[in-house]
Amino acid sequence: MKHSFFGGVHPAGHKESTRRKPIARLDQQPEQVVLPVLMSSQGRAEPLVRPGDRVQVGQPLTRGIDGGVCVHASVSGRVIAVEERPHPWGDTAPAIVVENDGEDTPFEDRPQPLAAENIKLSQLLERTHWAGIAGMGGGAYPTDRKLAQAAGKIDTLIVNAAECEPYITADHRLLLERSDHILQGAQVLARCLGAKRTVVVTEGDKLNAVEAVERRLRKRGAKAELCTVGTRYPLGAEKQIVQTVTGRETPAGSTALDVGCLVLNVATVFAIQDALFKGKPLTHRAVTVTGGAVARPRNLWVPIGTPLRCLLESSGGLREVPELILTGGPMMGTPQKSLEAPVIKDTNGLVCLAQWERRAQTPETICIRCGKCVASCPMHLAPVFIGRALREKQTHKLPALHPQDCIQCGCCSYICPAGIPLIELVRQAGELLEKGGEE
Amino acid sequence: MDRVRSYRLPPQVGQPSTTVSMMREVIISLIPTLGMAVFFFGLRVLVLTALSVGACVLFEYGYRRFMHLDNTVRDLSACVTGLLLALSLPPSAPYWVPVLGAAFSILLVKQFYGGLGKNFMNPALGGRMLLATFPLLMTTWPQPLQHLSLWKADAVSAATPMSYLHDGVLPPQTLGQLLLGQQGGCIGEVSSIMLLLGGCYLVLRRIISPRIPLAYLGTMAVLALLFPGGDQGRLVWMCAQLLSGGVLLGAIFMATDPTTSPVTPRGQILFGIGCGLLTALLRSCSSYPEGVGWAILSMNCCVWLLDRAGMPRRFGVTPFTAFKEHLKHLRSSAAEIKFVKPQFQFRLHEAGKAPGEGHLDQIRTHAKSWGCLAAVVLVTALVISGVHRFTDLDTVRAENTRQQELLAQVMPLAASSSETPYRANGALSITAGYSSSNELLGYCVEVQAQGFSGVITMQVGVDLNGQVTGVAITDHKETQSVGTKAMTPEALSRYIGKSGTIRTSGSNSVDAVSGATATSKAITDGVNRALAIVANLDTEGVVEYVDGDV
Repeated sequence: MKHSFFGGVHPAGHKESTRRKPIARLDQQPEQVVLPVLMSSQGRAEPLVRPGDRVQVGQPLTRGIDGGVCVHASVSGRVIAVEERPHPWGDTAPAIVVENDGEDTPFEDRPQPLAAENIKLSQLLERTHWAGIAGMGGGAYPTDRKLAQAAGKIDTLIVNAAECEPYITADHRLLLERSDHILQGAQVLARCLGAKRTVVVTEGDKLNAVEAVERRLRKRGAKAELCTVGTRYPLGAEKQIVQTVTGRETPAGSTALDVGCLVLNVATVFAIQDALFKGKPLTHRAVTVTGGAVARPRNLWVPIGTPLRCLLESSGGLREVPELILTGGPMMGTPQKSLEAPVIKDTNGLVCLAQWERRAQTPETICIRCGKCVASCPMHLAPVFIGRALREKQTHKLPALHPQDCIQCGCCSYICPAGIPLIELVRQAGELLEKGGEE
Repeated sequence: MDRVRSYRLPPQVGQPSTTVSMMREVIISLIPTLGMAVFFFGLRVLVLTALSVGACVLFEYGYRRFMHLDNTVRDLSACVTGLLLALSLPPSAPYWVPVLGAAFSILLVKQFYGGLGKNFMNPALGGRMLLATFPLLMTTWPQPLQHLSLWKADAVSAATPMSYLHDGVLPPQTLGQLLLGQQGGCIGEVSSIMLLLGGCYLVLRRIISPRIPLAYLGTMAVLALLFPGGDQGRLVWMCAQLLSGGVLLGAIFMATDPTTSPVTPRGQILFGIGCGLLTALLRSCSSYPEGVGWAILSMNCCVWLLDRAGMPRRFGVTPFTAFKEHLKHLRSSAAEIKFVKPQFQFRLHEAGKAPGEGHLDQIRTHAKSWGCLAAVVLVTALVISGVHRFTDLDTVRAENTRQQELLAQVMPLAASSSETPYRANGALSITAGYSSSNELLGYCVEVQAQGFSGVITMQVGVDLNGQVTGVAITDHKETQSVGTKAMTPEALSRYIGKSGTIRTSGSNSVDAVSGATATSKAITDGVNRALAIVANLDTEGVVEYVDGDV
């Protein structure tokens, strides 16, 4: 039986410019990489190196505390500073700056590759933690923690290659070019965690990747399923993808694990696979550099910590003055103030939007009650009523409208013909409720 | 990176449509319908539309200006209202009609509630339904392809398909004619195919969601299939119901008005179903053949309720739990309803400024309120007694009994009588008598004849074979016990069964009662007159009574 989620929107994909371009290395290696100490949404980390130390590719630079992920050197060279640098999540944060010597000397003290057949759960967890893997689809949740919570609890492993954000094609290319590795990684994960089903979810706009995966599935006789869904934003959101695959709705306040599903981004699975079978920590990732303002949009395989400026230089620079530069897609991405901010573990794209690609900035007009926000909310909310209750200060109405369920997908703001910042109103309402409902 | 100019809240892209562009798309989708109407009814349609749109824009601009509010003419909502109002007028409407409708739509229905997005009723429909209070104007439908002159709209009134459907028969037009629009009706409702085209355009452009139109038309279709009429099967009846009248215009353009329809998807479906049910009900049961406008306006008033009923279920909550929560909420709401004991005590001893002053004030206040109550009661009593006087039930009942007795005397077989539209010279009234199984038995004719000392008024019953079934004298001035001898039941019963022209002697005669010859003659005269009237009833509307040889 086929399930689907309610609502959603169909933003213009704009994936044509990069979907056919293989993931390529940078034209010119960065002169220095900036590795922020904090790269996961949970826990902390502290530096292990000091300025002046020589480091090699894959050498751990930080130690995770409270479940935080560690960071490895992505180039070889000399640590020149541990200082405040711009962080792509906004503001500045302590970062380790490594000067690149261009030799890419590998770290000697690497663990041995493991054979796929006899990997145990403890080995999987230990290796994932060592490799410093965090959710690479945008969540940046420490993967080893997620796997530890999921072990024995789940019946379905979902490999998320939906990539519903417009513009971004990094996951698409990765799935197409490395389908063997990804399937192998998924198989090991499913076996260790006790999942009965393994499902790779893609959207219908990646048919060449679908074909590649299908062919490999046939060849390997693997137990994984491939689920191709019609393109609709936000399929890639955890709760929506679980609903699409299994029909289970994740109640508010719980995660996909509580309904027996583990959702891992395709890039995360690839990184786990790398760590297991090659003994390589997470030091590189695929990033799509695109947008109307970029001269030569492409998919790049970049060392983590590379400043965004180097990515743009490898893509032919800017063709026109960008209206906005984002890491991540235009629906949920973060606007960047500085191109000196580095690529981190959850950066899947660098999107430079030209002015003509954005909606003309019209002043907010009055709500005409068209109801499109209600019909497009995948979380069954009524943003129009939440916004109205908040603006009219009728906070007693808010608890019944459940604004805290919001997943910040932005469908309501996207669809609103009156240009009302509904997502912001819903977020404020949710915060208000958390604080106790009173102003 | 000072080149990066703007930071905005996510999402950083948006769909391109705005309120203005939505309104523009609605106008575009109505152009085919308008074009078809021009083809059918001539350029007068264009003038009416221009007047309506112009008046709407002008009223909107004037009101916003007068009230020192920002100018909202540019959002095109007034244009859409004007266009829809024009499309729901008959093509022969005088030119002041759209202006009056526009004033009501824009000022009363829309702007008094705060303008676009705040009104609870569809402005165009509100204006249209105000104009429906001029029934003569609003129910004169010209024939299609009968082009109206620009200055004088002397349309030949034609029956619309709606009046046929109202009577439970199929309209004379074929379904193809109904689809193309070769039917009488409002400017915008005749051409179903153009309306459907416009609707498809709006749905494909995602201006409206198809929920309301589909629920509306689906409900209408199911009801038409369940309760068919006509004689060509259920499917034809259903198609005729959907293609004639204003249901397509209403379902696609009026009911989907975003402001006055529910915002929740489930609420929208309920709204459509409600509109369909009400329309079908009004079409078949009300005295007015069309019910779309009233149905949509009624459902407009229920939108707040439908929005609550259609609230989406919380994500991750099973329907059963949601239902239980709903019940709990209902119970807690009901528990909050408390009976507050009314206070009947009079607190006469309240302290005032000076001794006794507060007391006086109290009495004065009470007297005032009690006086108001008394006045209201008095006025109500007066009105009720007045109404009672004018519609005195006893009088009506007595009159009914008298009529029934008269009928029993004149036409013993008949169980009821009803008025007929027939008029004839010499007959005061002609009523038809029906048996208990509603079969026509004959006619009762009230005639007058000159008696011995004045006019004798009598009622003569004649059956369908032209035979007298009874005679009753209702008024006379004859001398008591002389002339009245001819009015005894025995004397009158001699007329029963006679037909043709009755003479006073010879064949086919009723002999005059001795001593009352003149009265007898007068009665015979009257009966003859009645027989002649009935004999000529069916041939012509006008009956000439030829004074036969008596």
